[in-house]
Amino acid sequence: MSAHAAEAADLIDHGHAGDDGHGHDELVENNYMKVPNVKLAIWTFLGSECMFFGSLIATYFFYLDKSIGGLLPKEVFSIGITSISTFILLTSSFTMAMAVDTAKSGLMSKSRNWLLITALCGATFVGFQVYEFWHFVHLGLTLQTSLFGSTFYVMTGFHGAHVSVGVIWLLMVAKLVHSGKIPAERAVFVESAGLYWHFVDIVWIVIFTFVYLLEFAK
Amino acid sequence: MFRKTTKQLSDWLIAATSSRSFALLAPIAVALLLGACSSNHPRDTLNPAGDGAQISAWFFWLYMILDTVIFAIVVGALTIALLKFSKKKGDDDSLPPQNHGNMKLEVIWTVIPTLILVVLGVITIGGVFKLAEKPAEEQKVIEVDVTGKQWWWEFDYRDSKISTANELHVEEGTQVALHLTSADVIHAFWVPRVSGKRDATPGRSYPLYFKPFEKGEFVGQCAELCGASHARMGIKMIVHPVKGADSYDNWVKGQLAQAAAPTTALQKAGKKVFETKGCASCHTIRGVKELSQRSRTTGPDLTHVGSRTTIAALALTNNEENLAKWVKNPQSVKEAALMTNLNLSDADAKAVAAYLFSLK
Amino acid sequence: MSAKLHDIEALQAPEPHMHYERPGKTGLMDWLTTVDHKKVGVVYWAAGAFFLLVGGLEALLFRIQLAVPDNDFMGGETFNGLVTMHATTMVFLAIMPMTAGFANFLVPLLIGARDVAFPRLNAWSLWTFLGGALVINASFLFGGPPAAGWTGYAPLTGPEFGGTGIDFWWSGLALLSASSMAASINFIVTILNMRAPGMTLLRVPVLGWMMLVIQFLLALSFPPVTVGLILLGFDRMFGTTFYNVSMGGDPQLWQHLFWLFGHPEVYVLILPAMGIVSEILPVFARRPLFGQTAVIFSGIFIGFVGFGVWAHHMFTAGMGPVADAAFAATTAIIAIPTGVKIFNWLGTLWGGKMTYPTPMLFAIAFIPIFTLGGLSGLMHAAAPLDLQQHDSYFVVAHFHYVLVGGALLGLFAGTYFYFPKVTGRMMSDGLGKAHFWLFLIGMNITFFPQHMLGNEGMPRRIYTYPADAQWDLYNMLGTIGVIIMTVAMLIFVYNVIVSVKKGAIAGRDPWDAATLEWLTESPPKVQNFDFTPIVLSERPVWDHKYTEGMEIIAPEKGESFHMPSYSWKPMISSGFVLMLIIGILLNTFMPGNWLWIVAALAAVGVVGSVWAWVSEPV
Repeated sequence: MSAHAAEAADLIDHGHAGDDGHGHDELVENNYMKVPNVKLAIWTFLGSECMFFGSLIATYFFYLDKSIGGLLPKEVFSIGITSISTFILLTSSFTMAMAVDTAKSGLMSKSRNWLLITALCGATFVGFQVYEFWHFVHLGLTLQTSLFGSTFYVMTGFHGAHVSVGVIWLLMVAKLVHSGKIPAERAVFVESAGLYWHFVDIVWIVIFTFVYLLEFAK
Repeated sequence: MFRKTTKQLSDWLIAATSSRSFALLAPIAVALLLGACSSNHPRDTLNPAGDGAQISAWFFWLYMILDTVIFAIVVGALTIALLKFSKKKGDDDSLPPQNHGNMKLEVIWTVIPTLILVVLGVITIGGVFKLAEKPAEEQKVIEVDVTGKQWWWEFDYRDSKISTANELHVEEGTQVALHLTSADVIHAFWVPRVSGKRDATPGRSYPLYFKPFEKGEFVGQCAELCGASHARMGIKMIVHPVKGADSYDNWVKGQLAQAAAPTTALQKAGKKVFETKGCASCHTIRGVKELSQRSRTTGPDLTHVGSRTTIAALALTNNEENLAKWVKNPQSVKEAALMTNLNLSDADAKAVAAYLFSLK
Repeated sequence: MSAKLHDIEALQAPEPHMHYERPGKTGLMDWLTTVDHKKVGVVYWAAGAFFLLVGGLEALLFRIQLAVPDNDFMGGETFNGLVTMHATTMVFLAIMPMTAGFANFLVPLLIGARDVAFPRLNAWSLWTFLGGALVINASFLFGGPPAAGWTGYAPLTGPEFGGTGIDFWWSGLALLSASSMAASINFIVTILNMRAPGMTLLRVPVLGWMMLVIQFLLALSFPPVTVGLILLGFDRMFGTTFYNVSMGGDPQLWQHLFWLFGHPEVYVLILPAMGIVSEILPVFARRPLFGQTAVIFSGIFIGFVGFGVWAHHMFTAGMGPVADAAFAATTAIIAIPTGVKIFNWLGTLWGGKMTYPTPMLFAIAFIPIFTLGGLSGLMHAAAPLDLQQHDSYFVVAHFHYVLVGGALLGLFAGTYFYFPKVTGRMMSDGLGKAHFWLFLIGMNITFFPQHMLGNEGMPRRIYTYPADAQWDLYNMLGTIGVIIMTVAMLIFVYNVIVSVKKGAIAGRDPWDAATLEWLTESPPKVQNFDFTPIVLSERPVWDHKYTEGMEIIAPEKGESFHMPSYSWKPMISSGFVLMLIIGILLNTFMPGNWLWIVAALAAVGVVGSVWAWVSEPV
């Protein structure tokens, strides 16, 4: 029994119990797992997103080379242009890391600027994608043309939608940083947006490598 | 290595299935099930008439015995617990022992089921490979392309131009290889007494192998939901004897013949109706009108429709009266049937029915 | 150690000091703006119970059709619609939300928290779920229900063969999927992060653990089917070619995506019921759960292996012997942890001192009935045997034993057990026992003969059958059983309604139970716990009452903490998501640019409401 008493005393000493011991909403952190609620939630969400993109990418490969008619990937892809947009998106991962780093150091206005640059990069990437889609449709590849058209547009389109959501997210965080609603001690909100952003980048690296580059390696 | 092992297993399995061990297990199992399944049921999966169904039934009894034992243990233990460990009248409020578990027991009831399942798993995998085995090439094989259509079955015999509907004719003791596909949605071919089911998927062709060992007629139906009249997509499998008037060879001979010419005036009128009122745009009668191309919506080959015992995928018995009813208003017989209602007059319907029924 | 050392009612703490950003609303406004996990849970449960009755009514109607051979009470399309809606309703709109009701109400109480991690997100999940339920059922009013089975196999659901009901079906399910994913993230964080001090992971009650496992299953299994549904929707709306066979599409793609979700989903339905049973049996046997750690780990193991077995639903689809063999083997493995659970439940009862109020009856009946369902499931794992049983009434019998005899009996047990905690009043035990016996008898009369029907070659989902098939006796029994179950359910509904108002006052701990939820008042105050309990064992309340030196000690001065304020934002932003679905449905009936106009407005609305959400002080 004394072991139990010691355990209880220990728990009280370490401040687990008592005032404001437990968070009740997304703005209050809790450290049972030594990870703030928001961050744990984003990690879980990204796990879910892995399954989502996993299914889309698997569908693409399930149907690869099974199209009946229509243009082939090689006939539409333009590695040069996509490389530029990929480079821009990768750069945005760096700027995002800077935003998180500055926020953690309490340099909030710098963090805001990095966030805005990141959002700009993201928006540029989406712009490239819109151009790419327009160009492909112009060449004669539409959603309805073939399995390649359907799988390609839906997979990259959902990625583009995620980037767009990310841009809006970054702008919201930038605004909250700017207005002081995300001060240094809440840098975890910048970090969470960063986790999502890096994830979206990684998904693009997978798509770019296996969908675009592999076509030309064959 | 893997292939070899599974081959050995499947060989062992087929030996076990057909011989003593099966005979040894069956009575025990029957006793256990207390005759719940009467063997004279027309679609009894446990009264196999083909090797596929036999393997399935063997596995059923294997698992039935195991399941019965496990269920008896669980219910037995539960009953004893209820009898022994209920609070009785006059018991005080003292607490029963507060132990939290027993490691030894946990290990026992994890390891023993694991061992049982390993054995069962090996047997099961053997069965899987046995059923998927391609028939040996030197034997006679009846190969049929089966196309599921909303809501009937088309059977095209590979080595002849026989095309029939809903009634599959095969031979006792002869290997059958069905190649299943579909013209529209997914269907599943299932004749319970002969073999387990297999999906007929559009855009793909899957084989189903079996060897019927009992002659007679076996009924089944589509087993994958395929639309409004899914319930009315019957199959009849007729297993012919090797010899005699009713032999498979005789049936083939009859089917290979050209369509019979109409003899009575009514039949002649019926043939005219067939040729002029639109029937021929979907149906073939060899020697009268033949379709150059078949599609999702084209109907069965009617060259020998009079020789079939049923029409509309077993929805009706085949006779002149029912044929007239069917051609007059297909949708009244079978919901959403794809056969066009040609608005035939009663006289036309009667005539075409007479003609069709004469096509033995 | 026989008599109680301490009474839980005597454990009083000074009034805590709670601060809010905004004071709460009252009446209906309170329910619409609530972020209280307990109220959200009650709405989930009530919606689930309502749809349980709706799904039951659908079953009653098609059982009337099947009572006699060659019946013409309804046609094939109507029957297919009712069967599809029955299954969709029971799985997604009855059992899952009832489970969500238990999860919402109980999880914070079980772990000693004051709310979930993200209360507003929790409310968003609720409204989005209700939106999805509304969309799916709206199909009855506009062009008829979906009729392709709850498994929705392409191409029967595709643009060529599926009716307008399919659009309601896929878009409604997409909403439910979003709701479930949000909820799963919320509960994973809650259970991992918000446990009371001292509540290590292995001290989390089994019910809490099972809830945690299913949240992982939901978070990881819903995305594949969401992709499947989106591909289906794109095929129907925009003419993509995913399931279009003439363009090279493969219907098996849908089957993989669906069952990659569908099989873990089965465990989502059954594990919480197992958790509830694991809570109830020890209370009425007056012993600790036998092998609690083994029960927890077997649940985790089931969840884990549950992801590797999906294709056992496709043995007849022609995947080839290697895949068939592999999935047969993985499926059989599931039997091991399931057996461990069953044996540990028996071990709990063995040596106990059992009493039999209604929740205990349901929990005990769960054991053999679920075992039966599990054993027939083991048969399906044997691929060569499954070729006969697949899509036959044997399978129908199997999953009804698992879902009615398993999940539903567990949920009933939980309802009777936790009703006093939720309402502060007991349910009538007499009516409860009438409900129990009638339901148990009815379900066995209905579903047991279906094993025989399956063995006699009756396929599932057929709207009629000929007399010469000789299936009439068992089908008639099935219909009679459903009528008996209907009577049982009416008694249950009556019991709930009457007991809410007139049941005996329960007190904090009416069952002399063991876990933290019984420390709170019945019904619990908005803050759940006046003080944060310190947990020293897996049975803190029991040990407080019966073990010396393990008392829960109330602090001397009242605690001070922040509580979340009411909010309209969850409902509003969920409403804009619903608007997007309405755009999709408009596209079905009025093809044109409506979809884009509504979708653009909805997107603006979602962004706006999310902005309002994040800038709202809580």
